[in-house]
Amino acid sequence: MSSYSLIIIGGGLSGLAAGIRFARFGENVLILEKHSRIGGLNSYYYRKGFLLETGLHAITNFAPPDVKSAPINRLFRQLKISRQQVGFHEQFSSRIYFQDRPTLHFSNDFNLLKDEISRHFPESIDRFISFVSEIDRINAFVPGPHVSARKKILAALNNKLLTDMLLCPLLFYGSSEENDMDFNQFIIMFRSIYQEGFFRPDGTMKDFLQLLKQKYINFGGKIRLKTGVNNIISSSENKSFIQGVRLHSGEEITADFVLTTIGYPETLKLLNNNTSFKKNKIDSLKGKLTFTESIHILPAETKNKITSDQTIIFYNISDHFRYEKPAEAVDINSGVICFPENFKDLPEKDIFQLRVTHQANYDIWKQASINRESDEYVNMKDSWNQKSVKTVSKIIGNYQENVVYEDSFTPVTIEKYTGRAQGAIYGSACKLKDGKIRNEYGAYENLYIAGTDQGYLGIIGSMLSGVSIVNQHILGKV
Amino acid sequence: MTLEEIKNVIIEIIQDIDEDADLSSLNPKEALRDQLDLDSMDFLDIVMELRKRYKIQIPEADYPELASLDSCVNYLGPRLQSS
Ligand SMILES: Cc1cc2nc3c(=O)[nH]c(=O)nc-3n(C[C@H](O)[C@H](O)[C@H](O)COP(=O)(O)OP(=O)(O)OC[C@H]3O[C@@H](n4cnc5c(N)ncnc54)[C@H](O)[C@@H]3O)c2cc1C
Repeated sequence: MSSYSLIIIGGGLSGLAAGIRFARFGENVLILEKHSRIGGLNSYYYRKGFLLETGLHAITNFAPPDVKSAPINRLFRQLKISRQQVGFHEQFSSRIYFQDRPTLHFSNDFNLLKDEISRHFPESIDRFISFVSEIDRINAFVPGPHVSARKKILAALNNKLLTDMLLCPLLFYGSSEENDMDFNQFIIMFRSIYQEGFFRPDGTMKDFLQLLKQKYINFGGKIRLKTGVNNIISSSENKSFIQGVRLHSGEEITADFVLTTIGYPETLKLLNNNTSFKKNKIDSLKGKLTFTESIHILPAETKNKITSDQTIIFYNISDHFRYEKPAEAVDINSGVICFPENFKDLPEKDIFQLRVTHQANYDIWKQASINRESDEYVNMKDSWNQKSVKTVSKIIGNYQENVVYEDSFTPVTIEKYTGRAQGAIYGSACKLKDGKIRNEYGAYENLYIAGTDQGYLGIIGSMLSGVSIVNQHILGKV
Repeated sequence: MTLEEIKNVIIEIIQDIDEDADLSSLNPKEALRDQLDLDSMDFLDIVMELRKRYKIQIPEADYPELASLDSCVNYLGPRLQSS
């Protein structure tokens, strides 16, 4: 039986970052990944000769190299990644578009957003500026009780529309709660999206993952793909002490520490053979919010026909912006429209992509996918895609007849390839900020959680989570 | 290892953590953190790097001993004498 200092369950971004961090100091570590490819929620696949990315509209937290304390620079230092290896292409600009309302543009220069607010919401600008200086002084990483961001912003700005508009991109890019998020999480995301901003690396997600994997392997880390963990084994004398894991194949591997990145309810399921977590407890922890995403490939010329001078458009065309599990399969009243080619100084290509994200209802998609004989699921995908294209065309112009290739994925696809219960990209609404998992006897002594359900998500957030949990709980303790 | 060698090891480790750091004018008596743009995450790297290179265990309670270049040398001196 093989044995490691640390086993990491999941080769997504948090697992890879945690692995690099630990392997860097010569420690012996194994990543176990169920899928045949690393990356998890942020990966890629091939169709008809096109490489399609599943995550990565944009990386958040853009900062120049000399700001040493910026999260991106700290993360790269911790992983020994140089900025040159990745390459930085800043966004053009993005906008928050609410139909029949003033539009708010923002870019990597925070002054643009301030100017837009002072132009369109003159009565709120002073309040906005003092709100920003208030949140600038807060250390959002100190764990505390959940505070409603919506209530805080509304109280500070005294303007419901502005509150909705400012929340819209942040909810879409990282909230596991309906219509709201924790105030600390809001502050972290406000900084990473509005005050810092978006960029893209030189290459694709595939290149980025390759870089991480190479770093990990060069430091001596081991990884096994197509290797799912079936359960986490605890000691028979001490139920809060983990001995190792058992794979789907039945093989057992022991470890001093186990770090799980697959999610909170997903992890409880793997622990279930030794402690009795009630099924309804696990079910209640599953995230409710999920999405569909479609990728449209267009010839480069089409760029001139539609409004495409921006990087990302967050839109809402209904009277009330809703961020919640929709009653229908897809909610096309709001969404995210992303142009992954619209970043500064990227090499010219002969195609360009358009990616559209909408909130979706897992149960309806799951129901449609159960009967494999019928075409219901495929037809549903088609018809929702058409409705989405029609709505998006009203915002950016008509592009439908130019589509060279398109593909879309649903909550069921996400669940299938990442194991995220109900396809909930942002995981459980219950986050474990201290990285500890508890059973009826207390916290597990040598099992920790990182990534999405530790509370930090997105590409940079999940990687920082992997690094900081290893730093806090595992490095130096073996 | 001589005290001078230990000092050089620390400087080399810091340079490795932050390639752009200017270490030529470090005041050995002053706290490293006040002179460099580094945070507690970076300081953990010094501890881990020493452990990796010289197999010495530095308990968390002793981290304050590594505050300045001089205090590093004083703390590490007896512990690295044999290597
Ligand atoms: C369509 C889409 C677009 C996105 N766009 C952006 C964006 O533009 N910018 C941004 O910052 N973020 C974006 N994200 C979010 C970002 O991808 C995630 O927040 C981040 O990748 C989460 O990483 P993680 O490590 O926490 O989890 P995961 O990526 O879920 O990693 C967990 C891994 O564990 C594996 N696993 C599960 N169960 C087991 C098991 N039993 N045994 C072994 N392995 C197992 C899974 O296969 C997976 O690889 C997007 C996500 C999606 C889906």
